[in-house]
Amino acid sequence: MPASLLFINMSGKIAIKLEDVYKSYYLANGEEIPVLKGISLEIKQGEFVAIMGESGGGKTTLLNVVGCLHPLTKGKYFLDGENIGDVKDDFTLAFIRNKKMGFVFQQFNLFSRFTALKNVALPALYAGMPSEERLEKAKKLLKSVGMGERVNHRPTELSGGQQQRVAICRALINDPEIILADEPTGALDSKSGIEVMEIFTNFKKQGKTVVMVTHTAEVAKYADRIIFLRDGQVLSHNYQLKSSY
Amino acid sequence: MAFESLLAKKTRTLLSMLGIIIGVATVIAVFAVGKGAQESVNSQFQNLSANSILIMPNRGRGFTSSSKLATGDAQLLLSADHISSATGAIQGNATVSYGATDKSYGVVGVDANFITISNLIVEQGRGIEVDDVENKTTVAVVGSTVVSDLFSDGTSPIGTEITVGGKKIEIVGVLKKLGSRIGMISVDSAVIIPSTTAEKSILGSKGQVMITTTVDNVDNTAAATSSIVSLLRTEHKLKTTQENDFQIMDAGSMVAAAQESAKTMTALLTAIAAITLLVSGIGIMNVMFVTVAERTKEIGIAKAIGGKQADILSQFLLESVILSMVGGLIGMGIGQGAIPIISYFDWISMASSWTGPLIGFSFSVLVGVFFGFYPAFKASRLDPVDALRSE
Repeated sequence: MPASLLFINMSGKIAIKLEDVYKSYYLANGEEIPVLKGISLEIKQGEFVAIMGESGGGKTTLLNVVGCLHPLTKGKYFLDGENIGDVKDDFTLAFIRNKKMGFVFQQFNLFSRFTALKNVALPALYAGMPSEERLEKAKKLLKSVGMGERVNHRPTELSGGQQQRVAICRALINDPEIILADEPTGALDSKSGIEVMEIFTNFKKQGKTVVMVTHTAEVAKYADRIIFLRDGQVLSHNYQLKSSY
Repeated sequence: MAFESLLAKKTRTLLSMLGIIIGVATVIAVFAVGKGAQESVNSQFQNLSANSILIMPNRGRGFTSSSKLATGDAQLLLSADHISSATGAIQGNATVSYGATDKSYGVVGVDANFITISNLIVEQGRGIEVDDVENKTTVAVVGSTVVSDLFSDGTSPIGTEITVGGKKIEIVGVLKKLGSRIGMISVDSAVIIPSTTAEKSILGSKGQVMITTTVDNVDNTAAATSSIVSLLRTEHKLKTTQENDFQIMDAGSMVAAAQESAKTMTALLTAIAAITLLVSGIGIMNVMFVTVAERTKEIGIAKAIGGKQADILSQFLLESVILSMVGGLIGMGIGQGAIPIISYFDWISMASSWTGPLIGFSFSVLVGVFFGFYPAFKASRLDPVDALRSE
């Protein structure tokens, strides 16, 4: 597989490495629907990678596998050099999702009953951070994305762009090394989308690894590199957008 | 967090609490009724010594349509084995009037030794004496309620003449407030007169005869009972085929019977309370399943941001426990609040206790944990990706 060999000699620590990963869904009648069919890839620490591909190609499934939301059907998943592909224990997986990664969704997925502040603080509650400390930290994070005035607003009282900034703060509260984003600008107008992408490019400066699923070239171009999937396999590890973009 | 979720669905929360509220209120009622029954049994029999044997007429069953039992039989029973004392009494109801007040009270015609044998205490004046019985005097010893009813102005009742069943009677004594009963009549609202006077002119044949005897030793109760039966059967000239025209009860078995019936009532109510709590638990389980289904997406989000199965389990479990605990507290309030009201109207004898609310509340929490566990467990095991996809 020459494509995967491309990156082996690159410098920098490997944050995420998948080796021949398969993921299938099973229908109620037991029928197997393979989605990921032998994916191998490496993402270095501090790299901003966009995952593109046709719909149904396995982008979101790949992100969920990397985010430890899905167990692998087959293959190896090295996180910081450790194979966690066959870890089934909820406590460990929840710990990884909580401390190592931060998730940003297309539909923000904020808790509508909670204020922005409480939404941001929630992962820290799961991490066992004392109440005062986590609320203080949440406030600081919200301020850093220009939401300092709206800490006590509920999601319904915020615009899409504001909600996504709250969601980004939530992803950041436990200082994860990896940010996983599934179409983070998909539900935003272009101005808010640009603001969100600017926050994402800032992560790189902080040394955070970003893996973002998108189908939009304008968004993908913020990334250092584009991994292109087709039919559950990696078509390209460094996909070049057409010059028209 | 749990509180916020519950407050968001007020109507549902309240409705699902209703079962618990009723259940806990029932538990409290059960204990109050149980304790009340126990107390009323105790007070009913407090003037009855353990070594008393009571004889009452047996009417209206089979061919023994009438009873020959009379207060005079008491004298005869003094000769029964192991009997150390015997006193006859006749009881019924009569209208008592004094001044402008007319009221019906229980009237008890007694022998001279009745007051002592029945453990009654004369607080003012004197009791009924031998001369009164022999001479059919028109005197009365009255209970404390009678005094407070008739002499509300505070005048001393001693020496006052009242009308009992149309006959003028002089009050010569007042009984101490006891709360106990003589047969069906409460001591405190009784008018006690000589038995001869009662039989002759006030109660006549309408009165119910009751003979109280005491056994020299509780262990001899059975022997004394059979001796009494044979003496009375001979006296009443009953053929061997005839049933007794009297019923005989010893204090021990009367207390036991009353306690037994109090226990049965408590058992019945306990069963009702248990069923109510069970049903309310199923209600809570149902509501929790609906809640979990509704919040599937939230569960997915919670998992994606690092919520452990244990976090999600405890979140939902906490909600069901809060639900049942708040319901339990409200039920406690209603249950405890109802006791004085029910007691005031004297519908059923109740006494508040600490055990009722304590057990009721603990059970409500237990119901919350028990019936909340399965939905919470299911929620915690949801697949995060499936949960995130749901709307």
